[in-house]
Amino acid sequence: MERGKAAGSTSLLSKKVKIEGEIQGNEDLHVEGHFKGSIKITGDIFIGPTGIVEADVEAYNVIVQGQVTGNIMAHKQLQLQSSGKLLGDCAAQSIHINEGAIFEGRSKMIKSPAATTGDKPGVK
Amino acid sequence: MAIFGKKENEIKPPAVQTPAAAKAEPKSSRKDTSLDTTYVGKNLKIKGTISGEGSIIIQGSLEGKFDLKGRLKIAQGAKIKGNVRATDVYVSGNIEGEIAASERVQLDNTARIKGGIVSPKISILEGAMFDGEIKMSDRTVEVSKPASPGPTQPPPASAAPNKKETEL
Repeated sequence: MERGKAAGSTSLLSKKVKIEGEIQGNEDLHVEGHFKGSIKITGDIFIGPTGIVEADVEAYNVIVQGQVTGNIMAHKQLQLQSSGKLLGDCAAQSIHINEGAIFEGRSKMIKSPAATTGDKPGVK
Repeated sequence: MAIFGKKENEIKPPAVQTPAAAKAEPKSSRKDTSLDTTYVGKNLKIKGTISGEGSIIIQGSLEGKFDLKGRLKIAQGAKIKGNVRATDVYVSGNIEGEIAASERVQLDNTARIKGGIVSPKISILEGAMFDGEIKMSDRTVEVSKPASPGPTQPPPASAAPNKKETEL
């Protein structure tokens, strides 16, 4: 899978840590803890098996092994792996859902980042 | 000095190594090594509250507050605006706000602090900038009570012993 544009490091939210608020930046993010609020990063986000995210998430690639309650916007790809759970809508350029994953919500495909503002053929 | 130098080495590795490591290899391979240490990279901005247990290393910026049971390291270049509570606090970056530690606070030579410090143990290295007030009585810190019971507690005020004797 093509990696995000974040040149920096991978930030980590570990298991027993809870963040409430807003995260922004140009970085990859790995969540094993609990996050509530909103996330907007230009890198990739990986929500690990113990990760719980109650937030709207915007990132380049989004990989979910944990739980997400909220809307996901992946500029490239959304991967919902078998242990993953998504309650909310998603928008992505490409989507990958493994067997066993739980997804309740609407899915919307976006074209390339440049074309998102233009007309969108297909799914409405 | 020797003690500070050693401590410094102990906490630094995750912060220094992860950027290179994370770039070179896929994320999953980091799993066992540093999953206990929350790390906020320098390109990340957080607004809100961080709470919980474990160690945290901040290189980015935070507007909000910390309420942590564990070790907090504010790396050089990091910017914190808000109150900080943790067991140990090591500062090499900037903090604007109150720092409360139940064990110790250490200010590195690159630290820039504007605000108060409440901690039973404090060390400040030459070069650190500190504008504010220090309180060292640990009675004012109610962050994590079980941290240091008994011997480290300063003797109570002069009025208290008399009362106790009469009670006994």
